[in-house]
Amino acid sequence: MHDADRGRMARRKVNAGADTALVDYADKEPSAFASMLGGLIEANVKSRPEKESDFARLIAKVGIWVTDIDEGVTLDFKGGRMTVHNGLESQRTITIRADAQTVMSLSNLKIGLFGLPVYYDEVGRGVAGKLLRGKLKIDGMLPNVVTLNAVTRIFSVQ
Amino acid sequence: MAVKAFSPEWASAFKDEVNKSTVYKTAGKGWKWTVGLVVEAEPDKHFAEPKGIVMDLFDGEARDIQVGSAADAQKCDFVITAPYSRWKEVSTGQLDATKGMLQGKLKLKGDLPTIVRYTKASQEMTECTTRIAVEWPDEK
Repeated sequence: MHDADRGRMARRKVNAGADTALVDYADKEPSAFASMLGGLIEANVKSRPEKESDFARLIAKVGIWVTDIDEGVTLDFKGGRMTVHNGLESQRTITIRADAQTVMSLSNLKIGLFGLPVYYDEVGRGVAGKLLRGKLKIDGMLPNVVTLNAVTRIFSVQ
Repeated sequence: MAVKAFSPEWASAFKDEVNKSTVYKTAGKGWKWTVGLVVEAEPDKHFAEPKGIVMDLFDGEARDIQVGSAADAQKCDFVITAPYSRWKEVSTGQLDATKGMLQGKLKLKGDLPTIVRYTKASQEMTECTTRIAVEWPDEK
Protein backbone atom coordinates (compact mmCIF):
# COMPACT_ATOMS: atom_id res chain seq x y z
CA MET A 1 0.00 0.00 0.00
CA HIS A 2 1.20 3.47 -0.78
CA ASP A 3 2.51 5.37 2.19
CA ALA A 4 1.08 8.85 1.91
CA ASP A 5 3.54 10.18 4.49
CA ARG A 6 6.64 9.27 2.54
CA GLY A 7 8.93 12.15 1.74
CA ARG A 8 7.33 14.43 4.33
CA MET A 9 9.10 15.81 7.34
CA ALA A 10 7.63 14.94 10.73
CA ARG A 11 8.42 16.80 13.92
CA ARG A 12 9.35 14.47 16.73
CA LYS A 13 12.17 14.57 19.25
CA VAL A 14 14.65 11.74 18.87
CA ASN A 15 15.43 9.96 22.09
CA ALA A 16 19.03 9.36 21.12
CA GLY A 17 20.36 8.14 24.45
CA ALA A 18 23.22 5.69 24.25
CA ASP A 19 20.97 2.75 25.17
CA THR A 20 18.08 3.55 22.86
CA ALA A 21 18.13 1.73 19.56
CA LEU A 22 17.15 4.10 16.77
CA VAL A 23 17.68 1.54 14.07
CA ASP A 24 16.13 -1.87 13.62
CA TYR A 25 16.47 -4.47 10.92
CA ALA A 26 13.59 -5.96 8.96
CA ASP A 27 15.45 -9.17 8.19
CA LYS A 28 16.39 -11.84 10.70
CA GLU A 29 19.88 -11.87 9.20
CA PRO A 30 20.77 -8.38 8.04
CA SER A 31 23.38 -8.33 5.29
CA ALA A 32 26.82 -6.96 6.11
CA PHE A 33 25.97 -3.87 4.08
CA ALA A 34 22.68 -3.39 5.95
CA SER A 35 24.43 -3.74 9.31
CA MET A 36 27.16 -1.34 8.27
CA LEU A 37 24.79 1.39 7.05
CA GLY A 38 22.45 0.93 10.00
CA GLY A 39 25.38 1.04 12.42
CA LEU A 40 26.88 4.07 10.70
CA ILE A 41 23.67 6.09 10.81
CA GLU A 42 22.88 5.11 14.40
CA ALA A 43 26.38 6.06 15.57
CA ASN A 44 26.20 9.32 13.63
CA VAL A 45 22.84 10.38 15.05
CA LYS A 46 23.78 9.43 18.60
CA SER A 47 27.15 11.16 18.56
CA ARG A 48 26.27 14.26 16.56
CA PRO A 49 23.37 16.31 17.97
CA GLU A 50 23.12 18.37 14.78
CA LYS A 51 21.93 15.24 12.95
CA GLU A 52 19.14 14.50 15.42
CA SER A 53 16.65 17.00 14.05
CA ASP A 54 17.01 15.68 10.49
CA PHE A 55 16.62 12.13 11.71
CA ALA A 56 13.59 13.05 13.83
CA ARG A 57 11.85 14.76 10.92
CA LEU A 58 12.68 12.54 8.01
CA ILE A 59 10.04 10.22 6.61
CA ALA A 60 11.26 8.59 3.43
CA LYS A 61 12.24 5.27 1.93
CA VAL A 62 15.76 5.47 0.55
CA GLY A 63 17.22 2.68 -1.54
CA ILE A 64 20.97 2.28 -1.97
CA TRP A 65 22.23 -0.19 -4.55
CA VAL A 66 25.95 -0.92 -4.74
CA THR A 67 26.57 -1.79 -8.36
CA ASP A 68 29.91 -3.60 -8.02
CA ILE A 69 28.77 -5.98 -5.28
CA ASP A 70 25.20 -6.37 -6.54
CA GLU A 71 23.76 -5.69 -3.13
CA GLY A 72 21.48 -3.06 -1.77
CA VAL A 73 19.45 -1.92 1.16
CA THR A 74 16.38 0.16 1.80
CA LEU A 75 16.54 2.67 4.63
CA ASP A 76 13.01 3.32 5.84
CA PHE A 77 13.15 6.56 7.82
CA LYS A 78 10.08 6.87 10.04
CA GLY A 79 10.58 10.19 11.84
CA GLY A 80 12.96 9.34 14.65
CA ARG A 81 13.38 5.66 13.87
CA MET A 82 14.74 3.74 10.92
CA THR A 83 14.24 0.22 9.66
CA VAL A 84 16.89 -1.27 7.39
CA HIS A 85 15.80 -3.84 4.84
CA ASN A 86 18.09 -6.14 2.90
CA GLY A 87 17.58 -5.36 -0.79
CA LEU A 88 15.39 -2.78 -2.47
CA GLU A 89 11.85 -2.46 -1.17
CA SER A 90 9.03 -1.07 -3.29
CA GLN A 91 7.75 2.53 -3.20
CA ARG A 92 11.08 4.17 -2.55
CA THR A 93 11.31 7.95 -2.40
CA ILE A 94 14.89 8.01 -3.68
CA THR A 95 17.20 5.30 -5.00
CA ILE A 96 20.95 5.79 -5.14
CA ARG A 97 22.95 3.50 -7.42
CA ALA A 98 26.74 3.62 -7.39
CA ASP A 99 29.83 1.52 -6.81
CA ALA A 100 31.12 0.85 -3.29
CA GLN A 101 33.73 3.59 -3.40
CA THR A 102 31.19 6.21 -4.46
CA VAL A 103 28.73 5.16 -1.76
CA MET A 104 31.50 5.68 0.78
CA SER A 105 32.30 9.05 -0.82
CA LEU A 106 28.69 10.12 -0.22
CA SER A 107 29.21 9.66 3.49
CA ASN A 108 32.33 11.81 3.24
CA LEU A 109 30.56 14.81 1.74
CA LYS A 110 31.05 17.87 3.89
CA ILE A 111 27.99 19.85 4.94
CA GLY A 112 28.28 23.56 4.34
CA LEU A 113 26.21 26.71 4.50
CA PHE A 114 22.46 26.24 5.11
CA GLY A 115 23.06 22.52 5.67
CA LEU A 116 23.77 21.90 2.00
CA PRO A 117 26.32 19.31 0.87
CA VAL A 118 29.60 20.82 -0.32
CA TYR A 119 30.33 19.94 -3.95
CA TYR A 120 33.35 22.19 -4.50
CA ASP A 121 36.00 20.35 -2.46
CA GLU A 122 37.83 17.21 -3.64
CA VAL A 123 35.22 14.72 -2.39
CA GLY A 124 32.31 16.87 -3.56
CA ARG A 125 33.79 17.36 -7.03
CA GLY A 126 34.33 13.61 -7.28
CA VAL A 127 30.69 12.92 -6.38
CA ALA A 128 29.37 15.61 -8.73
CA GLY A 129 31.59 14.29 -11.55
CA LYS A 130 30.25 10.78 -11.08
CA LEU A 131 26.70 12.11 -11.13
CA LEU A 132 27.39 13.91 -14.40
CA ARG A 133 29.08 10.87 -15.95
CA GLY A 134 26.22 8.58 -14.91
CA LYS A 135 28.36 6.54 -12.52
CA LEU A 136 26.18 7.74 -9.68
CA LYS A 137 22.47 7.57 -10.40
CA ILE A 138 19.83 8.98 -8.10
CA ASP A 139 16.28 8.06 -9.08
CA GLY A 140 13.73 10.51 -7.74
CA MET A 141 16.34 13.19 -7.09
CA LEU A 142 14.65 16.22 -8.64
CA PRO A 143 11.30 16.11 -6.83
CA ASN A 144 13.01 15.14 -3.56
CA VAL A 145 16.05 17.41 -3.28
CA VAL A 146 15.15 18.44 0.27
CA THR A 147 14.87 14.80 1.32
CA LEU A 148 18.13 13.95 -0.45
CA ASN A 149 19.94 16.76 1.38
CA ALA A 150 18.54 15.56 4.72
CA VAL A 151 19.67 11.98 3.98
CA THR A 152 23.12 13.28 3.00
CA ARG A 153 23.40 15.20 6.26
CA ILE A 154 22.41 12.13 8.31
CA PHE A 155 24.76 9.93 6.29
CA SER A 156 27.74 12.30 6.37
CA VAL A 157 30.52 11.52 8.83
CA GLN A 158 32.28 14.84 8.17
CA MET B 1 63.20 -10.24 -2.32
CA ALA B 2 59.93 -11.79 -1.22
CA VAL B 3 59.05 -11.90 2.49
CA LYS B 4 56.95 -14.53 4.23
CA ALA B 5 53.28 -13.55 4.51
CA PHE B 6 52.41 -11.89 7.82
CA SER B 7 55.92 -12.37 9.20
CA PRO B 8 57.90 -9.68 11.11
CA GLU B 9 59.76 -9.00 7.82
CA TRP B 10 56.42 -8.48 6.08
CA ALA B 11 55.32 -6.10 8.86
CA SER B 12 58.52 -4.11 8.49
CA ALA B 13 58.13 -3.91 4.68
CA PHE B 14 54.50 -2.86 5.14
CA LYS B 15 55.50 -0.09 7.54
CA ASP B 16 58.11 1.16 5.04
CA GLU B 17 55.55 1.20 2.23
CA VAL B 18 53.01 3.10 4.33
CA ASN B 19 55.60 5.68 5.35
CA LYS B 20 56.74 6.10 1.73
CA SER B 21 53.19 6.89 0.62
CA THR B 22 52.45 10.59 0.22
CA VAL B 23 48.79 9.68 -0.37
CA TYR B 24 48.61 7.98 3.04
CA LYS B 25 50.45 10.83 4.71
CA THR B 26 47.71 13.22 3.57
CA ALA B 27 44.70 10.91 3.88
CA GLY B 28 45.73 9.66 7.32
CA LYS B 29 46.13 13.15 8.84
CA GLY B 30 44.30 13.24 12.16
CA TRP B 31 44.15 9.46 12.62
CA LYS B 32 45.19 8.55 16.18
CA TRP B 33 43.91 5.04 16.83
CA THR B 34 45.48 1.60 16.77
CA VAL B 35 44.35 -0.91 14.18
CA GLY B 36 44.54 -4.67 14.55
CA LEU B 37 44.29 -7.10 11.68
CA VAL B 38 43.33 -10.62 12.69
CA VAL B 39 44.42 -13.24 10.19
CA GLU B 40 42.44 -16.37 10.91
CA ALA B 41 44.10 -19.73 10.47
CA GLU B 42 43.42 -21.91 7.46
CA PRO B 43 45.40 -25.11 8.00
CA ASP B 44 44.45 -26.44 4.56
CA LYS B 45 46.25 -23.41 3.08
CA HIS B 46 49.34 -24.07 5.22
CA PHE B 47 48.47 -21.19 7.53
CA ALA B 48 48.07 -23.17 10.73
CA GLU B 49 47.90 -20.56 13.49
CA PRO B 50 45.97 -17.28 13.64
CA LYS B 51 48.08 -14.13 13.71
CA GLY B 52 47.52 -10.54 14.64
CA ILE B 53 49.00 -7.47 13.04
CA VAL B 54 49.10 -4.54 15.42
CA MET B 55 49.44 -1.17 13.76
CA ASP B 56 50.25 2.01 15.62
CA LEU B 57 49.17 4.65 13.13
CA PHE B 58 49.31 8.30 14.00
CA ASP B 59 48.57 11.40 11.97
CA GLY B 60 49.53 10.00 8.58
CA GLU B 61 52.46 7.96 9.80
CA ALA B 62 52.93 4.28 10.68
CA ARG B 63 54.83 4.55 13.96
CA ASP B 64 54.99 0.80 14.38
CA ILE B 65 53.62 -2.35 12.78
CA GLN B 66 54.18 -5.60 14.65
CA VAL B 67 53.13 -9.19 14.21
CA GLY B 68 51.67 -10.74 17.35
CA SER B 69 48.85 -12.95 18.46
CA ALA B 70 45.22 -12.58 17.40
CA ALA B 71 44.48 -11.53 20.99
CA ASP B 72 46.99 -8.65 20.68
CA ALA B 73 45.23 -7.41 17.54
CA GLN B 74 41.81 -7.72 19.16
CA LYS B 75 42.84 -5.19 21.81
CA CYS B 76 43.22 -2.42 19.23
CA ASP B 77 40.72 0.42 18.77
CA PHE B 78 39.74 -0.91 15.36
CA VAL B 79 39.87 -4.59 14.48
CA ILE B 80 39.47 -6.10 11.04
CA THR B 81 39.13 -9.87 10.94
CA ALA B 82 39.24 -12.25 8.00
CA PRO B 83 40.61 -15.69 7.16
CA TYR B 84 44.08 -15.98 5.65
CA SER B 85 42.83 -16.44 2.08
CA ARG B 86 40.73 -13.25 2.23
CA TRP B 87 43.74 -11.23 3.40
CA LYS B 88 45.70 -12.79 0.57
CA GLU B 89 43.01 -11.58 -1.87
CA VAL B 90 43.28 -8.07 -0.40
CA SER B 91 47.09 -8.08 -0.51
CA THR B 92 47.16 -9.23 -4.10
CA GLY B 93 44.61 -6.66 -5.23
CA GLN B 94 41.90 -9.22 -5.99
CA LEU B 95 39.57 -7.90 -3.30
CA ASP B 96 38.95 -4.24 -2.67
CA ALA B 97 38.90 -3.73 1.09
CA THR B 98 35.90 -1.37 0.98
CA LYS B 99 33.88 -3.87 -1.03
CA GLY B 100 35.08 -6.65 1.26
CA MET B 101 33.75 -4.79 4.31
CA LEU B 102 30.40 -4.03 2.68
CA GLN B 103 30.06 -7.69 1.74
CA GLY B 104 31.06 -8.90 5.18
CA LYS B 105 34.13 -10.66 3.82
CA LEU B 106 36.22 -8.52 6.16
CA LYS B 107 34.64 -8.04 9.57
CA LEU B 108 35.15 -4.65 11.15
CA LYS B 109 34.92 -3.73 14.80
CA GLY B 110 35.23 -0.12 15.87
CA ASP B 111 33.57 3.25 15.48
CA LEU B 112 32.06 3.21 11.98
CA PRO B 113 31.87 6.96 11.35
CA THR B 114 35.59 7.25 12.12
CA ILE B 115 36.66 4.46 9.79
CA VAL B 116 34.37 5.75 7.03
CA ARG B 117 35.93 9.20 7.40
CA TYR B 118 39.28 7.62 6.62
CA THR B 119 38.17 5.46 3.68
CA LYS B 120 40.86 6.93 1.43
CA ALA B 121 43.58 6.23 3.99
CA SER B 122 42.48 2.63 4.40
CA GLN B 123 42.35 2.17 0.63
CA GLU B 124 45.89 3.48 0.36
CA MET B 125 47.03 1.11 3.11
CA THR B 126 45.57 -1.73 1.08
CA GLU B 127 47.49 -0.43 -1.95
CA CYS B 128 50.66 -0.46 0.16
CA THR B 129 50.24 -4.18 0.90
CA THR B 130 50.01 -4.94 -2.83
CA ARG B 131 53.47 -3.40 -3.36
CA ILE B 132 55.17 -5.96 -1.13
CA ALA B 133 56.57 -9.09 -2.76
CA VAL B 134 55.16 -11.90 -0.64
CA GLU B 135 55.92 -15.58 -0.31
CA TRP B 136 52.51 -17.20 0.33
CA PRO B 137 52.47 -20.45 2.33
CA ASP B 138 49.89 -22.05 0.04
CA GLU B 139 51.98 -21.35 -3.07
CA LYS B 140 55.08 -23.22 -2.02
